[in-house]
Amino acid sequence: MSFEAPFPPYNASDPYATFLNSTCMDLLLIEMVPMAYRLNNELTIAGQDGVKPVVDEDEQKEAAFRRLETSGYRVGQGLVERFSRDRPRFTDTLDVIKFLCKDMWALLFRKQIDNLKTNHRGVYVLTDNSFKPFSRMSMSSSSEAVSRAQPYLWFPCGVIRGGLASMGITATVQAETSELPAATFQIKTTNAKA
Amino acid sequence: MSYYFCIVGTRDQPLFELEFGTSKQGGDGIARFSQEARHMNPFIVHSSLDFVDEMQWTNNQMYLKRVDQFASSHISTFLTPTSTRFMLLHLPHPPNTAPQSTASPNSFPPFTPYTSTPASTTTGSRSSSSSSTSIPNNPTSPQTEEAIRAFFGEVFEVWIKAIMSPFGSVEGKLGSPVFRQRVVAAGKKYL
Repeated sequence: MSFEAPFPPYNASDPYATFLNSTCMDLLLIEMVPMAYRLNNELTIAGQDGVKPVVDEDEQKEAAFRRLETSGYRVGQGLVERFSRDRPRFTDTLDVIKFLCKDMWALLFRKQIDNLKTNHRGVYVLTDNSFKPFSRMSMSSSSEAVSRAQPYLWFPCGVIRGGLASMGITATVQAETSELPAATFQIKTTNAKA
Repeated sequence: MSYYFCIVGTRDQPLFELEFGTSKQGGDGIARFSQEARHMNPFIVHSSLDFVDEMQWTNNQMYLKRVDQFASSHISTFLTPTSTRFMLLHLPHPPNTAPQSTASPNSFPPFTPYTSTPASTTTGSRSSSSSSTSIPNNPTSPQTEEAIRAFFGEVFEVWIKAIMSPFGSVEGKLGSPVFRQRVVAAGKKYL
């Protein structure tokens, strides 16, 4: 229940050790995006008595976004609850953002965020120069790759928003990428005190 | 000692409530609050939330120890990192009164009357120092403090597991019977 490395002997010879296959985890996170699209398709078709409705692309995208974002939100809420144990209390928003950049990011993507910028008025821009889910993505044309990679940012967006919410910060989170494997997350807090 | 345990969410809404009695020194684990006290307990706990809000900035621990006192009820608090509060009201049985000797729970005075002064504490004023009496379950003793810490620690572990369930929500009521059972077990073990 903490960020610290577990006590030795924590290896395969320890019968009580539990491990998580990180590749499986990555594959699961990758598969979530097509699954969200598929689920939406099936649900809309099922609702229309076999008549295949014409769903425009934007609507489909929106539905998948909502699905991924909300599940990410729930994951974020739980993660923070579980891992912010026994650490000094957060005194201001920047404290929370730092926790997000250092501890949460390390937990989610095994690295810290590369750059954090803020205008001191409630907007924070987080830059990750090699965003983990993008590290294996490549295409011949980089503009197509960027648009294809966009849905994979939605779940992490939700995780960030959920994490911030359970630490008491209401925010909107937007993510974009201009070139793989970098990603930028823009957090706009909507709190009264910014 | 009788206990009233309540988990209060970030929007001051109660998420879980439980009454239980001590299981130490031959206690039977049944709360002996009077009917009136039973109604008052949620109010007392709620009123001490202000003290918790104040104390969280001066104390960096999750366990805030004893935060408030009302008549002879003491309130201990555990604050999770995301500001969910575990409130435990503990009401000691008055000195020289064994819990078993009270035949009917209604005849047992759960509150020392608000007007008279119990032992040497000052009524009305929320005094932080209380006289150490000789009752085994002295609510101000370090042993009690440690027992409550252990209780909160265990409840926290169970609570984390409960809220990580994808079928519930973090801000929702905790209706899980397994959770209740685990909290009861923790109460039996430590208090």
